[in-house]
Order: sequence, then C-alpha cells, then structure tokens
Amino acid sequence: MRIAKRSELTKVQIVLVRLAAVVGALIFGGVFLIILGENPLTIYTSMIDGGLGSFFRFRETVNLTIPLLITSLGVMVAFKMRFWNIGAEGQIFMGAFAASYFALNFAYLPKIVLLPLMGLAAMVSGGIWLLIPAWFKAKFGTNETLFTLMLNYIALKWVTYLQYSLWKDPAGMGFPKIPSFEENALLPKILGIHVGWVIALLLIYLAYIYLNHTKTGYEIAVIGESEDTARYAGIDIKRVILKTMFLSGGICGLVGMIQASGISGTLSVDLSGGVGFTAIITAWLSGLNPVMVGIVSFLFAMLRQGGSFIQTAYEIPASAAEILQALILFFVLASEFFVRYKFVLSHKHGTGVKK
Amino acid sequence: MENILVEMNSISKSFGSVQALDKVELTLVGGEVHSLLGENGAGKSSLMNILAGIYTPDTGNIKIRGKQVDISSPKVAIDLGIGMIHQHFKLVEVLTAKENIVAGYDKEFFIKGSKLSEKIKNISLKYGLEIDPDKKIYDMSVAEKQRVEILKVLYRGAEILILDEPTAVLTPQETEKLFDIIRNMTQMGCAVVIITHKLNEVMEISDVVTVLRKGKYISTVKKTETDTNELTKMMVGKAVDLSIERPPVGERKKILEVLNLSALKSDKTKALDDINFEMYTGEILGVAGIAGSGQKELCEALAGLYPITQGDVVYQGESILGKNPREIIKMGISMSFVPEDRLGMGLVASMNIVDNILLKEYQKQEGLIISRRPSKEKAQIIVDKLNISTPSTDSHPVRLLSGGNIQKVLLGREIESNPHVIITAYPTRGLDIGSSYLIYDLLNEQKKQNVALLYVGEDLDVLMELCDRILVMCNGKITGIVDGQEADREKIGLMMSGAYKEEIGL
Amino acid sequence: MKKLVILFLVLAMVSTMILGCSSDNGDNGNGNGTEEQLVVGFIYVGPTNDGGYTTAHDNGRLFMEQELGDKVKTIYKESVPEDKGEVVKVIREMVDQGAEIVFATSFGHMDGLIEAAAEFPEVTFSHCSGYQTADNATNYFGRMYQARYLSGIVAGMKTETNKIAYVAAFPIPEVIRGINAFTLGAQSVNPDVEVHVRWTNTWYDPASEKAAAEALLDEGCDVTAQHQDSTATMVAAEEAGAFSIGYNVSSEEAVPKAYMTAPLWNWGEYYLTAVQEVLDGTWTNTPYWGGMYEGIVTLDELTALAPEGAAEAVEAAEQKIVSGDFDVFYGPVLNQAGEEIVKAGEKMSDADMLSMNWFVKGVVGTIPASN
Repeated sequence: MRIAKRSELTKVQIVLVRLAAVVGALIFGGVFLIILGENPLTIYTSMIDGGLGSFFRFRETVNLTIPLLITSLGVMVAFKMRFWNIGAEGQIFMGAFAASYFALNFAYLPKIVLLPLMGLAAMVSGGIWLLIPAWFKAKFGTNETLFTLMLNYIALKWVTYLQYSLWKDPAGMGFPKIPSFEENALLPKILGIHVGWVIALLLIYLAYIYLNHTKTGYEIAVIGESEDTARYAGIDIKRVILKTMFLSGGICGLVGMIQASGISGTLSVDLSGGVGFTAIITAWLSGLNPVMVGIVSFLFAMLRQGGSFIQTAYEIPASAAEILQALILFFVLASEFFVRYKFVLSHKHGTGVKK
Repeated sequence: MENILVEMNSISKSFGSVQALDKVELTLVGGEVHSLLGENGAGKSSLMNILAGIYTPDTGNIKIRGKQVDISSPKVAIDLGIGMIHQHFKLVEVLTAKENIVAGYDKEFFIKGSKLSEKIKNISLKYGLEIDPDKKIYDMSVAEKQRVEILKVLYRGAEILILDEPTAVLTPQETEKLFDIIRNMTQMGCAVVIITHKLNEVMEISDVVTVLRKGKYISTVKKTETDTNELTKMMVGKAVDLSIERPPVGERKKILEVLNLSALKSDKTKALDDINFEMYTGEILGVAGIAGSGQKELCEALAGLYPITQGDVVYQGESILGKNPREIIKMGISMSFVPEDRLGMGLVASMNIVDNILLKEYQKQEGLIISRRPSKEKAQIIVDKLNISTPSTDSHPVRLLSGGNIQKVLLGREIESNPHVIITAYPTRGLDIGSSYLIYDLLNEQKKQNVALLYVGEDLDVLMELCDRILVMCNGKITGIVDGQEADREKIGLMMSGAYKEEIGL
Repeated sequence: MKKLVILFLVLAMVSTMILGCSSDNGDNGNGNGTEEQLVVGFIYVGPTNDGGYTTAHDNGRLFMEQELGDKVKTIYKESVPEDKGEVVKVIREMVDQGAEIVFATSFGHMDGLIEAAAEFPEVTFSHCSGYQTADNATNYFGRMYQARYLSGIVAGMKTETNKIAYVAAFPIPEVIRGINAFTLGAQSVNPDVEVHVRWTNTWYDPASEKAAAEALLDEGCDVTAQHQDSTATMVAAEEAGAFSIGYNVSSEEAVPKAYMTAPLWNWGEYYLTAVQEVLDGTWTNTPYWGGMYEGIVTLDELTALAPEGAAEAVEAAEQKIVSGDFDVFYGPVLNQAGEEIVKAGEKMSDADMLSMNWFVKGVVGTIPASN
C-alpha cells in the first residue's frame, strides 16, 4: 500500500469524503460508547438534543459559539496571509486584561461609554499582542508560529499574576479571584443572550466584505498566495502584514472583552476555555470563508455542548466525553488528508526481479 | 546481436483524471543513444520516472535484460542498473563530489578516503568525466555538477542512464563535451536515454528517437531515417513552419539606459556586475546566457523588484532606480514585466482571470471598496483577442488553465496596459510549439508598434532568429552584445561561458 | 463543505424531531427525573476519583441517593473550574435537566452560584465553604478544624525534628483555620513544635502538591499534613521515609508506609438532611456548620504507624470536643507575633473563625496580603 496524490476532487466528492469521516467517527465513537456500556444511538441523539433541545441548551450552545466564531474570524484573517497566528489564546487574555482594567477602574462611567471603551481597549491590546511577533517577522523574519505560541503563555501568566496578587479581590477572603465587574461593565442581553451574538454576526458580514471587496482584502489574498506576486504588483507587504495582524489580534482581543463582560463577569484564568486553539481548527475547516466560519463554529459549539450534556445526563466521565469529541474531530481532520491523498493498493508486491 | 536492456510494454499511468501515459512502448538497446522526444506534457518525464522507480505504472510491464520486473522504488531501479539524472540536481552543496557520490549508497557506510578517490578517478577516466573528487559542490559550475550526477549513477553500477533535459543548463561547448561523454558511455555498452524537445540535439546525438504526444506513443524511428520536419510533425501532430519572423526595426529611439548596474545575491556574491546597455524603441533585445547568469536579477532590477548596490536605470532621461513597481507606474512610465515564474510572480495562481487583471488595476481605483467590473470587461477583451480557452473569466482559477493560456493571460494583461517597454523572461518556457509561435507573434506585433522589448531566452536558435540584438551574460557580467542577424552560434557559446569577450560597441 | 454542513444540519434537525417525539414517553434515558423524582445536582471541583475531596463529596452524594432511593435522582459535573462563567453555565445545564437543588462544593464556585441563584429563584442552592447567602441559597460546611486539631495531636507526638510540613491550597479562612487548629493540636502535646506552611494555589494538582511537600521535607520536616485533594503530599512523605496525615478520605492503602490518620469528611449526613428538607418543604437558608458532634467530620482510625499513646490522647480530646467542653480556639491563643488574640477563659466566635486571616504562634509561613 502506498500514498498517492489525488487529482482535484469535485465538490460532491469532497462532501462525500467528509461525510464518510463523520460516519466513521460516529461508528468508532459508537464502539467506544458500547465499551463504556452505553447505547450509542441514545447518546448521539441526546448530544444533539443537549445542544439544541431547548432554549436553555440552545443559548448555551450560542454562548459557546460566540467566542469560537469571533476568534476563528480573527485567526482566519491572519491565515489568509499565511501568517500562522497560533496566539489567539494570548490575544484573548490581553484583550480581557485591557477591558478589565477599564471595567474595574472606570466603573463610574455610564454603560454606553464604558462598554465601547472596554471593547476598544481590548482590541488595541489584542492587536498589539499580535503586532509584536508580526513586527519581528517583518523585520527579522522570525518564525511567527513559535513566537505567537510562546506569547500565549506570557499572557496567561500575566493574568494569573493579576488574579493571584495584583488585582486579587480584597473581599475574597484570600481566595485568588478578581472582583466582579459592576453592572454597567456587563454586556446587555438581547433575546436572552448577551449581545456578543450580534457582534459575531456583524463581524461575519464585515469580514466577508473586508476580505472580498476591499483593496486591503485583495492585497491580503495576493500576499497569502505569493509574496513575489505581491512585490510584483507593488504591494507594500510589510505594511499590509502589520495592518492585518493588528486587525487579527484586535478581533481576538475583542473576544477577551466579550467573555469577561458577557460570561465571566470578571477577568479569570479560565476565561478563554481554550477557544484560542479550537479556533485554529474551525478557521481551517471552514476553508477560510467567513460564512463557513459561522456555521462550523456553531457545529463545534454544539458538539461541545452536547458532550457536556451527556456527561451529566449519563454520568459519562468528563474525560470520556472529551475523547468522544476528540474522535469526531480527529476523523474530520483526517478526512482533509483524504481530500488530497489516497491509498493505492499495489497490484504487484515484492521487489525487483520476478521469479 | 542487439543487446536489449529494457523493454517497456503498454505502459499506462494516470494522475487523477489526467492520462499521463497511454499504452506507451519503449525499447532500449545497449550501445545506443535513445532520444525521447515530445512537447511539454507529452509524458516523457513520467515514462522515465516509472523506469527509475519513482512512479509505479497503472498497467503494463517492464522487462530488464529479458526478465520481467517490478520497479517499486528508486532503490530497486538502482539495483537493476538504472540511473536517472534529473533536471534539478540532487546534490548536497556543502559536501565534496566524492562524498556526494557515496552518500546514501548503503554499500559504503564509511567514506574511505584515498581508495575511494581512486575508484572514482578510474570511472571518470573511463568515460572522460573530468572531475575533482575533493571539490565542494558549491564551488562547481553547472556542467561540473552534472558530471558529478552522472558519476554518481555510474558509481552505483548504472548501465541504463536517463538524462532529463541535460543541455538546458549548458553552453553549446559544454553540450559538446557532454555528448562526448555520452558517446563514451554507449561505447561501453550502456543504454542512454535523453529527454529533450530540442530537435537539433536529437539529430546530433541520438541513434534512435521515440516520439510521444499527449501521453500517447507515436513512433520510434532511426535517426538516419528521419529529419527534423518529420519529427516536428510527429511531435505536434501537424506540419509546423519552424521559422520565426523578424520584422524590420522601426523607429529606433533610445528609451532606456542601464548604467554600471550591480547587485548582490543573498549570499553576497555578485548577481549583476557592472551592467551597461541601452534599449531602443521598435527593437527586440535578446538576452542569452546559461541559466543563473544574472538574467532573472537583471529583469527584476529593471522592474524595481531587485535591490541594486550600484549603478542607475534611466528612462528617457529620468532615473527609476529604487522605485517599486507602483511608483514606476505613478511616474507615468509604462513598463511591463512578464516574469519567468508566471504563477508564482506574474499571476495569482488560485485567482480567476478577472482578479488577475485586477492586480494591475485596483490601485487606480478610488476608495476602499474594489469594483471588479472594469477588470471583467478587460478580461473579456483579452480572452477574445488572444483566443484564450477558459470556461469562465471569473470563476476558474488560472492555475487550471494550460501553460499557453496562462502565459496569454499574463502577456495579455501586460500588453493591454499599452507599455513603452516590455521585459519578458523565458516567455515560451514550458509552452508547446504552437503557443510559443503565438507568443513570438505577439512580441513582434509590439515591436511593430515601436515598443522596446527585452527578451530573455534559453534557446539560442530562437534568440538568433527573433532578436535584433543579443546581449550575452556570464556570471552577472555582459560578455558581449551581438547583432542578431550576424550572430554566430559558436561565438555566443563562448561568450556564455565567459571564454570570449566581445568589445561592447553596439 | 457547504453541502456537508447543510446535510449535517438536516440530520441534526431530523434527529431532534425524532427525539422530540420520543420525549413523550417520559424522557427516559437522558437523565431527567420523572415527576415525582427530585433532581439534585452536584458541582465538583475535581474528578470524582481524585481519592480526596471530591471523592468524599461523591460518597456523600451516593449515600444520600441510597438513603432516599427513588425519591431523588442525582446528576453531577466533575472538574468544574472556579470561574464564575463556567459555574453559571453548569448550573444552567443542570436546571435545564430538571435540577431543583444544586450543591456546589468548592469555595471558588460561590460567585457563580450566587449569580445563578438570582437567575433561578425557584431552585434551591447550597454552597460548600463559602459565606454568601441569598433567599434561595445558603452555604454549608463542617467544623473540620476539630478533626484537624485531633490530627495535630498525632503529628505533634510523632515528630522528632519538631518540624511538621503543611501543604496548603489557598490562603483563605477555611485553610488558615485548619492550619491553626492543627498547630494548636500539635502544641497541646508538644509545645516546641513548628508547623511549616507552603501554598500551592491549587486544590488539586498532584505535581505542585508533591513539589511543595518535597521542599518542606528537605527543610527537615518529618511529618506532613495537607489541605490538598490528592495523595501527592503523602507520596512524597513516604518516599522520604517520613510520616503523614492525610485529608478527606482514608489513604492507608495508597501510602501504607506513611499514613497515620486523616481528618475526614462525611458529607452524606448533610446531603441527606438538606435534600430531605427540600422534599419536606422545610428548607431554610440558614447556613449549616456541623462538627464532630453531628458526625460530619471525623478522624480516621489511627494506623499502626501512629505514635504510642496517640490513640488515648486523641480519644480524650475528642470527648471534650463532642461533649462541648472545648472547641479548639479557646483562649489563650497567640498569633505569630505573640499577641493574645483570644484571651484566657474566652472562646472565639463563629464569625471570627469564618474570617480568620492570621496564623497562631508556631506556624512558620506567611499569609499573602490581600490588597
């Protein structure tokens, strides 16, 4: 058996490959569930039920979708330029940090002033956090993958430091937490869900317009495809890189503000829930298309919410539910390989001379 | 009696939906030079990659010395005495020739000094392959590197040698030398395959010619029983007039002047060394030289894409040095550059024709939002005018077009901006004969409209037929500028290798 | 991809519809209680098999469930971070699955629980170890300091270097109180003893717990105690040839060569009482703080490794505590600076104990300042 490159698949074939992956994951996961002594069919249907079955569940799914979706849009903008922003997690934390600074120190401001201020601070802070590796890449050609990855840990440790000492709540009786935001630093709700969902939908639209119908969006696409072509066309590559990275980091930073203000009600080390990493996968699976980012993020959130649901409903250990989610993810990602390659059975075996 | 070394019967191979080879036959005889002739995409390299164990055929069988074999990997091929010298050499630059020759050959775990050198020397003497076994690869010329590659496969006991486009990187003199080596090898009983599309070389070196066209086996003929016209007809599928038109020079005015231009490569060696020449309207200036002599850097420097260390480029009395392409356009200078790397530099491979036209248009638009309508109209004009075959202008990525059509999109876009100067680098590389002639016609048409053209080419015959003057480069220097009509092949060859320097007086 | 997504969505919708139909026959299978069952939710900070704090709570849940039988259905969620947003999310999920009473078991779950209490006024909440209450939310805890005092006696008699290691999670009153009680217990049998404290800033992280324990053992401690949810401290003691006092559950099997005893939780009693009250409609938001008398905290049986005479000393002290004659923080109690915080003949109030933020004399270590 050997691996051979495929010719370009038709769209129908690609859909079939991916569908096969989902089916494969379900079968494999089913075996896993049977080993755990559960009925896979019930578990699967209740996973979907757990994600969408009631308004509560739907709302939780949306609450999970919002940060994932916006972060995916953020990293997507960078990915379009083949700039591997693995540092969304850190940008979220730095955004949350900046937003929290204003929430904790300027709580006397009216809500209508305070919230935009927090959002802006978060975007600038997240943007700068990605501008650092972007600048080093533009200037010295450093590897942005490692650089952005490392900055995650710095951001996380910084927030840990804030939570454990600098900003520790004096009213917390020694427990390491940052004081909760005042009411006017909390995101308002629309239709029972915090306004993050409106921002998310708006951002999908803006990202679509930005990438497809603006000069910079076009330049990003050209640079992403070939820097030589960009030079050839007279595009100021460094400027576009820096501008776009600021935007990418800014969008991720905004997620920090939304999570702090809309979900956690304060800054905390558990605030991101790991979306900075999951977003890399969702952005990729969406084929860097803003509309698809929305759909894929929602499906992912459903998977997570459903997984969380079956945990309590069936007393499946948290780790097993996570394995199930990981299995599905693994199969879908593996299918990407089969979109490009195939296994070919050699019709002849052995080496060299035939006897 | 004929010593039949290889028989490939009814070989088929497809890559996805593309049928690269369709029931191809090939028989190689010891002591013969066998030319594999065909246009780009005819399947020559695929067929040889199968013989070298890099690809496995879908159907068909291979017999080596009469025994049926399954060449499942390059290692098996080497064990069977098959060696292939690829177009792009696979040598480790920091190692010596000797080290490269033994590296990866598992019979020699330790690289033993003197004994090995002796063994290598023996082989090189036997075949006339002059090589210094202890010289580092990075110190070698292209021709030397090629000899190392050949030695490498001979050292491994190859009796069947495949050379993929071996003369593309050589001067005429070096080509002669290589042919001598090949003749030596056949005298020793080796079978040599040369993959090529250059007819004159086929006629010079080969004993037998097999022609492929679009993956299909056309015919195998003895060289003595054919001629170039017949071979061309087999290659292209119809009779082709191989002469290139050279319209007379029109209104000859100096438009661009290059003064003492120097530039460095990334490794700080000289890419361009004190280049001086002038370009005139209504004239095609050819640039000849072995690959990597500075042609690419020269073109990019003129287009504002390559950093200059010294010198000046003057356009109608105004320096355009240090300006990027956009600034050059802003100065009102219309200069078009058709780079060698079409999909990697001139075009955006995954974008459609309209978006590729947009590449040179969008800056002229006002505001932040792009309008695609003007580009779409322009795209349609270019497609109609140049007869580009594409299913659509705005939904079909250009990378899926054929090589000829890709070049037409690029050249079409550049011509459409009505330039005064056109710089083209290898505009017909990889194109079939029909498309190549269409490109020559397009360039000549621009010449007639008094555009100044720079044509960087690799095929000396084309350069001598198409260009009004030919500038010859060697190691980043100009070694001569000769009149196209009076050019002498031998003399240009010597200039390309730097062995002869023309007083630059033209 | 687009088509796949549409397909997926259609699949999802179809399955929801099928499920919607099937949910007529009683929602069996997906955990929701039937009408007469009370659904009780538990929020755990660690995994149920942590062999410590969360296991103790889970044992309590199982005990309550066994006692009440069909009347209740319990659901739980493990490893819930101490983050407000996360806690609120988990509570919403539980309420969605029919929970009418929710217990959150860790200090850091408090803010989320209080917020959720406002969102779901019809649900009853109870939070372990915190201090905030609401109309429908109270807190519960045990006088663990009593059992810690007893374990201090064992440690104080055992130590030869007079240095005892104490690996502690967070500098919050609960933990500080335990350290102080333990120290007082040790001093009651060995006036020269010192208790060396290290903070890990985590309830459950075997690696950092072990690292802290090893550092203290290196400083010359020969007995360890812990306010941590894993056995890592005891493992470190065993490896160093030292002895240990555990916490939460008996660990004799896990560390046979070090384990002497441990102050234990017995949450089942409380859970049973609280759930019964909800069933009976007699529940109030009065905080619960039971002690050894109520049986919610105990000291594990001493192992053979405990020093001679310890069993008798513990027995005597336990008698006094259970009978109400003595409750650990009886004056005189001095702080680290030697100032008399509780005067001779006086005893500390519950309120003071619940906000304790100072160490008694004999503790070596500092409480990070809250600014």
